[in-house]
Amino acid sequence: MENRLKHIFLKPFTVVGLCAVSLFLGAESASASELKVNSELFDVGLTAGIINLEDFPAEFLVGASVTFKASESFFLQYNYVQADISRSTHEQGGLVYGVDRGFSHYDLLVGYNLFQGEFFAGKGGSHLSSLYVVGGVGDTDFGGEESFTYTFGVGYQIEFFRKYVLRVDYRDYLYKSAIISGEDTTVQSNQLSVGMGYLF
Amino acid sequence: MLKKCNWLLAVCCFFLVQPAISKDMKPGVSLEVIDAYADVHSGPGRGYPVFYTIEQGEKVEILTRRPGWYEVRAENGRVGWTTAAQISRTIQATGEPADLPSVGYGDYIKGSWVTGFSTGQFSDGALEGYETFSVTGGYRFLSWLGADVELGRLFGSDASGDYYAANVYLEPFSDWKFSPYVALGVGELSLGSQPQLISFSEKSSNFNSYGLGTSFYLGRNFVIKAEYRWYSVSTDDETESLQAWKIGLNTFF
Repeated sequence: MENRLKHIFLKPFTVVGLCAVSLFLGAESASASELKVNSELFDVGLTAGIINLEDFPAEFLVGASVTFKASESFFLQYNYVQADISRSTHEQGGLVYGVDRGFSHYDLLVGYNLFQGEFFAGKGGSHLSSLYVVGGVGDTDFGGEESFTYTFGVGYQIEFFRKYVLRVDYRDYLYKSAIISGEDTTVQSNQLSVGMGYLF
Repeated sequence: MLKKCNWLLAVCCFFLVQPAISKDMKPGVSLEVIDAYADVHSGPGRGYPVFYTIEQGEKVEILTRRPGWYEVRAENGRVGWTTAAQISRTIQATGEPADLPSVGYGDYIKGSWVTGFSTGQFSDGALEGYETFSVTGGYRFLSWLGADVELGRLFGSDASGDYYAANVYLEPFSDWKFSPYVALGVGELSLGSQPQLISFSEKSSNFNSYGLGTSFYLGRNFVIKAEYRWYSVSTDDETESLQAWKIGLNTFF
């Protein structure tokens, strides 16, 4: 009996069926609201900046992010960044080759708006602004290693024209690496970046 | 060269003007306020100063929704933010989720999409000590029923891997601030070696899982979850059991 149940559960079409049912039920209840209020609950954005991996030179980095407003104080943010890292002074003859020289990182963060305020750019009125802190977990992929990463950071954002979010961020990535020392040691990599997001 | 600059300028102007146009084309809905009164703040947060008060019987236009807040335009043209709780009775008639004290947390978020992430550690079984995190996306059909798709990663000292799963959540007392739930899931897990160990080959196996957890509603749209999960993984010739604890954050939109 237990085996048969397992068999049913493990069939991929059960998974597909689940998704189909969810979509159907989703469409059903979405029509409940008559009022079409424009929601501003998430933004998508691009990031550019500088990353300094421990023991490696600082490099230009690009990335993308999605941010969900969870409450007036909290938000969730998913980030992806990547960079090409040139040779470290510790590498004699080279330790990391080819595609492994590419650094990529993604993380899942929770943010807290510490100081919410308004930014007055001119006579044209005010723009909402906020100084926030973030923390979370993620994955860092560099030099053939994939490492569980803790991320901490602080940032400041201004919402221009209510739809465009300009961010300046500092991030600290903490993870274990054995590239330079040969055994797992905790390394710290720092990132400074600016980002532009579109709210909708 | 000049032509190129003009072209660039035109594109920039379009992007700057475009939100203003779309706002004009989509006028908000005008409602008569039936709540006693509502404070109008300069921004969507408790610290923003109150600069106006809407009274009962006044007409307001609802412009934008953010978690816990609505942007409104009063009859005299003043635009500001009021808490969803203060104009909940006015909002209720429209079918928007109403932030009334009598509305349970589950009822407020039913019919919403959800996304979140969780992190934890395997506490028993072959992967004991492995750290894990996952990202989820799903839907809350009913106040007590939700489902999601989960993508996760596992990290151990000698191996790492990915998994994906589909989960169903049953939360019978979802109007409580602390509310217990049961989770059921199926999925696939694949493990591979870290570069230090070359002998390990990547292999994938199906699993099913069940979990017990508690939701803590930090706000109407924001939930912290703590969960303990039991996995049974079918490998080639046997069934391996794993256990893990997880802490997650979820937001509804």
